[in-house]
Order: sequence, then C-alpha cells, then structure tokens
Amino acid sequence: MQKGEERSIVVETVSRVMIPFIQLFALYVIIHGAGGPGGGFQGGVVFASAFILYTMAFNLAGVRERFPESANTIFSSIGLYIYAGIGLLAIIFSLGAAQYLNYGFIPFTSHFEENRALGMDFVEMGIGITVMAITASIFFDLAQKEGIEKEEKEEG
Amino acid sequence: MKSLRAVALILIILLCGLFIYVAEDIPVFGDPEAPPIKSVKLFTMEVGQVVSLLDQHVVPEKLSMELVKRGFPSPSRVEKIGGVEGEWNGFITKEEPHYAKEEKYYWIKEGGGKVSVSRYAFVVRWIEKGLKETAVPNMVTYGLADYRGYDTLGETSVIFTAGVSVILLLRRRSRL
Repeated sequence: MQKGEERSIVVETVSRVMIPFIQLFALYVIIHGAGGPGGGFQGGVVFASAFILYTMAFNLAGVRERFPESANTIFSSIGLYIYAGIGLLAIIFSLGAAQYLNYGFIPFTSHFEENRALGMDFVEMGIGITVMAITASIFFDLAQKEGIEKEEKEEG
Repeated sequence: MKSLRAVALILIILLCGLFIYVAEDIPVFGDPEAPPIKSVKLFTMEVGQVVSLLDQHVVPEKLSMELVKRGFPSPSRVEKIGGVEGEWNGFITKEEPHYAKEEKYYWIKEGGGKVSVSRYAFVVRWIEKGLKETAVPNMVTYGLADYRGYDTLGETSVIFTAGVSVILLLRRRSRL
C-alpha cells in the first residue's frame, strides 16, 4: 500500500483468512491433475492469485519479503528444469532405449503403467511451479513499474 | 454508402444461411457413436461371399484388394463384435514404427444389401486404451502430459519465455 492511502480492515482480514485456503486449493488442483479435472496450468495460476490478493490487500514490499525476487526467478526456471529433467531421466534409466519423455521407463515403481502415471504427476508439478512463478513475476514487475512511475511524477 | 450497407446485409444473411446449412451436419454434442468421432467411412461393396467369409474369421481377398488399392494396410484378422449382428472389427498387424502392437483398425458393417468398410477414428483408440496404457483415469491429462508431452513442454517454455521477456523489459538493469 502506498503512503497516504487508507487501510481497509475488512479486506485485510478476509484476505488473511482466504490466502492459506487458496494456496491449499492450488496444491489440491495440481496434485489431482491425473485423477480429476485439474493440472499444472490451472493450479499454478490459482497459486499466483494468492500472491496477487496479498498485494491488493497489503503492499508490494510485504509480499516481496515473503517471496523474494531472486526466489521468484529461480522458481520460474526450476519448473521447466523438472519437466525436461523427467524427460531426460527416461533416457538415462533405460540406457538410451526409451524415447525422450517416455515416463514408463523411469523406475518409480515396478509397473510400467504406474510409472507413466507418476511421471505425469511430476511433470504437472513442474508446470505448476513455472506457471505460478511466471504469473507472479509478470504481475509484480508491472505493479513495481507503476509504483516507480508514480514516484517519479510526484518528484518531478 | 446506402448500397454498401445493403450489400453487407445481404452478405450477412447469406453467411447465416451457410452456417445453418453447415450446422445440420454437426453431430449431437458428446455422442460417441457419431460418424466423425467413431469412424471414417472408406467404401461400400457388394455382399457376395464377403459376409460368410467374415463369419468364418477369414479375411476376404476382395476386401483386402479394395483396401490396398486405396492405400490402406490389409487386415490381418477379423473378429465379430460381441452382441451385435452383422458387424466386425478388422485388426492390422504389428508394424514398426507406427503400430507397436496389433491394432483394431477397421469397422466392417453389413446393412441394406451392402457391406460398408470404415476406419476407426483415433479417438476410439484414445478412449479405449488410454486407461490401460497409462493408469490415469482422466483422458485429458494423459493426452496432455503423456501422449502429447512434447507439446506441453513447448507450451511451458512459451510461458517461461514470456516471463523472461517481461523481466528483461521492465526490471531495472542492476537487479535481474
């Protein structure tokens, strides 16, 4: 919240109650991507919306303390690394016999089909992490730019 | 100006008519037996001896020749569909790299004095074999993350690229 703006107790309290549930729901959506309607893309966006709600209710500096910029940048690439790495694991574990992204050859369990299901779960998690970090990052960058411009206008 | 408007009105009415005409062909939403979802019709032929050969689980030579003439693989065996009269499934042999296993491929149906031969749509295989092959009950997910895994990897990298572009454009140079 910028200097001189009023704080709203109702908005702050409601978002303080809601944010944990939003984050929990996002994790639920990501984990249940295989069994029900859901998946990495949706779950990631829901998770990012929790950060956006926090920024709306409190301020940008506060959310940057909890989720710093460096961590955001790392997270945005880590999801893609997980996805590509799972694909590469299939080649490594089968000693070059399987194709890239053929999850069945990664020995999570002893069943080929179960391996495919688990590989899909991990891939969804990677998608979720990347989408969450990128959505949050774009929002924070735009919000920060607006704040900087406002400051410059007040100074000049 | 007025004439332009009249032309536009006539054009739009014609377009509406075209859409209504086209919409007649669209199958009922979610109907699994609808022709474009279940199968693609290839040709029809005279009954002759075909049906009796099909009933003996023999692939009729006439049928194989007709299929090969149109550029399709000839079936390796035929099997009666359980519980339905006058319908058969045609299987094709294992053939790397396109068919890693023996695959259900043709749908042969007798009716009205003709034998019609259709090719099963890909959706049929997707629905019937997905759960067995991947142990995931959600057919959207196994399509997205397994069968079309490369596509999803590309989508994720598109999102990543968008985020990196915004970071490069908006963040100050000193902190990345």
